[in-house]
Amino acid sequence: MGAYLSVPSWWRNLDGRYRLELGQCPDCGAHTFPAEGACVECNSTADFETVEPEGTGEVVAGTTITGGAPPEFADLQTQEGSFGVAVVELDEGARVPGMLTDCDPTTVERGDRVEAVVRRIYEQEGIVRYGVKFRPMD
Amino acid sequence: MRDAYLVGAAQTDFGAFPRESYRSLFSTAFEGAVDSVDGEFDRTEVDEAYVGTLGVGGRQLGLSGPAVTEFVGLDGASCTRVENACAASGTALRQATLAIRAGAADIAIAGGFEVMTDMSGDQTRYWLGVSGETEWERMSGTTFAGVYAQMADAHMAEHGTTREHLSRVAAKNHANGAKNPHAHLGFECSLEDAMNAPGVADPLNLYDCCPTSDGASVAILASEEAAEELTDTPIRVAGAGQASSRVGLFQRPTLTGIPATTDAAEQAYDEAGVEADDIDFAEVHDCFSIAELMAYEDLGFCEKGEAGPYITSGTTEPDGERPVNLSGGLKSKGHPIGATGGGQAVEVFKQLRGEAGDRQVSGLGRGLTHNVGGSGGAVAVHVFEEGWA
Ligand SMILES: [Zn+2]
Repeated sequence: MGAYLSVPSWWRNLDGRYRLELGQCPDCGAHTFPAEGACVECNSTADFETVEPEGTGEVVAGTTITGGAPPEFADLQTQEGSFGVAVVELDEGARVPGMLTDCDPTTVERGDRVEAVVRRIYEQEGIVRYGVKFRPMD
Repeated sequence: MRDAYLVGAAQTDFGAFPRESYRSLFSTAFEGAVDSVDGEFDRTEVDEAYVGTLGVGGRQLGLSGPAVTEFVGLDGASCTRVENACAASGTALRQATLAIRAGAADIAIAGGFEVMTDMSGDQTRYWLGVSGETEWERMSGTTFAGVYAQMADAHMAEHGTTREHLSRVAAKNHANGAKNPHAHLGFECSLEDAMNAPGVADPLNLYDCCPTSDGASVAILASEEAAEELTDTPIRVAGAGQASSRVGLFQRPTLTGIPATTDAAEQAYDEAGVEADDIDFAEVHDCFSIAELMAYEDLGFCEKGEAGPYITSGTTEPDGERPVNLSGGLKSKGHPIGATGGGQAVEVFKQLRGEAGDRQVSGLGRGLTHNVGGSGGAVAVHVFEEGWA
């Protein structure tokens, strides 16, 4: 399958794409994103309890991509010149990778508070794919 | 346990070679490795072959291992293609070592190849994304450089690492690579030029990133009994460690290091009966400048968070106490994904035998190779020592 995500494989994860659904581990209580696989904290494979997070959290690492964007985001980079991508630690504890939106990404720093908003992610095969991006709170 | 010895090793030039095929590249590396064996090497005696490749650009052929071993006359030998992203041939090296230790082989080869430069930039970016976590990390818009940039951002915030610390990696490795006739980018680069290069993924700029290259590498390993017939200058594989970790950075417990490096190094050190302090020199996986700094810490060369001052101290320069990436590293020598881990072993082989030409450092007895797949999903670490067990 490679890096290409088919429409069905995108749709399979809509609870994660739109609402950042987390999996809470019955053994240690930690939250894992996405809500499948083994617990990121203790590697337990016991069934997760699904949890819908508040969608708020803190930037723990970030970058502004100015060159060499993946093909799916090449148009965006051409239009905007650059875009920000962060690892966000949600208030529930799980870490989520996401694009920054509604801001100048170069002003966003580690420790800044952000909230999840649904935005257009990219278009492929004539279908616009939507998902979560992160917007700074103030 | 039987010991495995490195009795031959060679690589092609790394670079852009539109007139070469993956088979011709592999053949060049293989024949070079055969020529590097002191004694009379009979290729029909190869018991096992492990060949690393990612298969960039739709070259992920079935049977890509036998396709290159048949080309060099190893028809009949057991051959396995190994895929562990950029750690493919480091992994192949460990598999060959294990086969010899287990008694399943007396002679084994480990190698790898990659052809990366004959594609459009779009295709290359598409295929490099294959080594990351594709469903979520890649779909957040990040590139391979972007993931390492996030690690650099966190490392700078947590440990005070600076722009200058990052660029010192580029300046050092280019100075080394300028002395390596096989290097893809074999030119010097001043600290100032490295610091002022155009941005790619903040805080990383163009000189923080290695190139994509074509190339191949091959190492020949032998049991002690077989090695006694083949060499008078034995290089023993004293330790072979390997570990895996979460493929996506966001699922790992730390943003400022690579846990699989620490795990693989611990195994390799334990097997060799040594500590980090005992390593004389190393070839580490500097796909991005921050990766070399994190390797110093994860391999135990310095304390966590001290990589910046450590490189500034000059310890890892050729005239320092522990030279790192004398070959030029991925940064200057180049990074043909499947060939990189084997290429690191080539440098250690040459340095330990005193055959490294202009970049030879004297008095080296124990070298380490550190090969990372993706942003840390797989890591292989080897310790090599001069002499018989
Ligand atoms: Zn758990």
